[in-house]
Amino acid sequence: MRILIVEDEPDFLRTVAQFLREDGYAVDAAPDGEEGLYKAQETEYDAIVLDAMLPYIDGFELLRQLRLKKKTPVLMLTARARVRDRIQGLDTGADDYLAKPVDLGELAARLRALIRRAHGNAAPVIHVDDVEIDTAARSVTLRGEPVVLTAREYALLEFLTLNRGRIITRTQLYEHLHDENDTPISNLVDVHIFNLRKKLGAEFIATHRGQGYSIG
Amino acid sequence: MTLPIHSIRWRIQAWHGLLLLLVLAGFGAMAYHLQDTSETRHLDAELHLRISALFGNIARQPRPVPGPGDQRPDPPDGPPEGDPDDPPERNAGRGPRPGSFRLRPELAPLFASDGGSAFYYRVWTRDGAVFGSSPDAPAGLSRPERPQSRGGLFRSVNGRREAFEFTPPGESALVGVSEAGKEREMLRFAGKLAAVGAGVIVLGLAGGWWLASRAIRPVDAISATAARIAGGRLDERIPVSGNGSELDRLAAVLNHAFAQLDAAFAEQARFTSDAAHELRTPVSVILAQTQLALARPRDSDEYRESIEITRRSALRMQSLIESLLALARLDARTEPARRQPCDLASIGREQLDLIQPLAAERGIVLHQELEPAVCVADPDRVAQICTNLLSNAVKYNRIGGEVRLSSRRENGHALLTVTDTGLGIAAQHLPHIFDRFYRADDSRNRSTGGAGLGLAICKLLTEAEGGSLTVNSVEDRGSTFTLQILADENGDAKMEN
Repeated sequence: MRILIVEDEPDFLRTVAQFLREDGYAVDAAPDGEEGLYKAQETEYDAIVLDAMLPYIDGFELLRQLRLKKKTPVLMLTARARVRDRIQGLDTGADDYLAKPVDLGELAARLRALIRRAHGNAAPVIHVDDVEIDTAARSVTLRGEPVVLTAREYALLEFLTLNRGRIITRTQLYEHLHDENDTPISNLVDVHIFNLRKKLGAEFIATHRGQGYSIG
Repeated sequence: MTLPIHSIRWRIQAWHGLLLLLVLAGFGAMAYHLQDTSETRHLDAELHLRISALFGNIARQPRPVPGPGDQRPDPPDGPPEGDPDDPPERNAGRGPRPGSFRLRPELAPLFASDGGSAFYYRVWTRDGAVFGSSPDAPAGLSRPERPQSRGGLFRSVNGRREAFEFTPPGESALVGVSEAGKEREMLRFAGKLAAVGAGVIVLGLAGGWWLASRAIRPVDAISATAARIAGGRLDERIPVSGNGSELDRLAAVLNHAFAQLDAAFAEQARFTSDAAHELRTPVSVILAQTQLALARPRDSDEYRESIEITRRSALRMQSLIESLLALARLDARTEPARRQPCDLASIGREQLDLIQPLAAERGIVLHQELEPAVCVADPDRVAQICTNLLSNAVKYNRIGGEVRLSSRRENGHALLTVTDTGLGIAAQHLPHIFDRFYRADDSRNRSTGGAGLGLAICKLLTEAEGGSLTVNSVEDRGSTFTLQILADENGDAKMEN
């Protein structure tokens, strides 16, 4: 899952970004509204964490412009916590609104919920054949037995699962699993797919030659 | 507890009633007096009529032959109008005998008793004996004194009104009537006056109450509005009719005061909210950073970084709190100014030395043109203003830019100017740069750190010292801040000694 954080307070940006990375997300950062809007429009993020008071373009304006083009889930995270601001934020197109200071655990949970909802799921636990994926605990079981996955493997599995029934291209996988600072090696996705098949069964992930991969 | 007697309406009513009463009483008294005079005159006319008739009667009575000294000619009512009924007595020509007076019959109706007050008469002979009298003449009727002047006279005796007259030879005649009838008339008149007066008072009080209520109604509206405002509804205003009345003007003045109060409250609320917001940011960083650090075991470098971030935020909070306290103290004006002659040049020089490391870090060259400029001010405050201006000039400058600090005397003022070669301030921001938490450009705030209080503090400090702080700025060229304080007249000489 790839997330964009638009935040002008560098220490806060760094802290949240690190927390989300440690939670398995690919995280991009933008220190002002202009860069934030550009990145949000150019990249398929799974969610955006957006501050309200930003240089150049403020959060509400960024959101307004973004909504002309994209449906990316947006969570506003700002010190402007008055009811008026929350209403303005949500009515401008935000999917959630959190006030600073924030509990990072709650932030992560809300992002999971946003991403889940964006893919049409309500339940945090997804079943595919014998495999059970708990998106909240970030754990996977096969026929009741826990399966140990690396963070990247899990992220890949989760992304394919959330988009089950659809063919996901390698480019899409790259985009959603790596942040802007990664220099992905082209066959890295194949390596992760290979490992996942080994752990969950060869038939679990289907390969569509020349197009991509799918689950379910 | 408010007694009704303290209410303006009641007091207006009381005064109004009292005035009305006084006016009515005066008016009544005058009307009564006029009526009384008129009644008396009327009575006197009646009496005059009768005494004239009686007098004519006397002239035809038999009388003594006039004495030799008596110049009186024959009575005017002589033969041409001679009374055929009286010839015997008239022709007798001798002095009248007391009691022999006879009232001519055609005069009798004038003295007839018609059930009410009857006119009576009495006639005296020259020597004072009763010549004749009507039967109902009162007992103790005295013969009037002959006055010096001629003519008819009137007197009021024992509730009777009497007219009397003397013939030139000395007979006297008196006609009188009881004033009882007149008094009854006057009593009735007084009764009518009282009734009308009472009616007018009742009407007047009712009208007065209505007027007072009408006049007071805006006051009630004002007090009701003020009560609602006191209850927290600061946006309430007193309705102003715009007719320019005194209460309207009062309402306008109060509305103005309420608006200022409202603005002050809004300003205070905004300030508090801004302050909370500014504090919330570093608190968010500290909370998030500590939560992150504690989420899993980390190596010492990670902990070190975490602690550094936390400390940075804590320092930022500290500086913000210091600024807020400084503002609060300046607002409250609790700190006494320790004013003394101080030279802006020497203060500037010290502050320039202090800012040197920061300037060097950013490659900024500091210039100084410090001429002696002695003013009377609190040197610590002046130093603080100078530091704030200098650090702004360094912070909001371009890398490798210049900052010029100069001081001089001009027109009785000591001036200190700080000029930078930074980005300048856009014209639309200039009027606000001394506002609290105002930042000309949000993009420059976080990285440079200020919360937008520095210039507000400078402004307050300057005003506390009775000086002025002004700014000139050209975008992309730089800004010049000028501090101006009244110069110490003989300070320069003193400083040199």
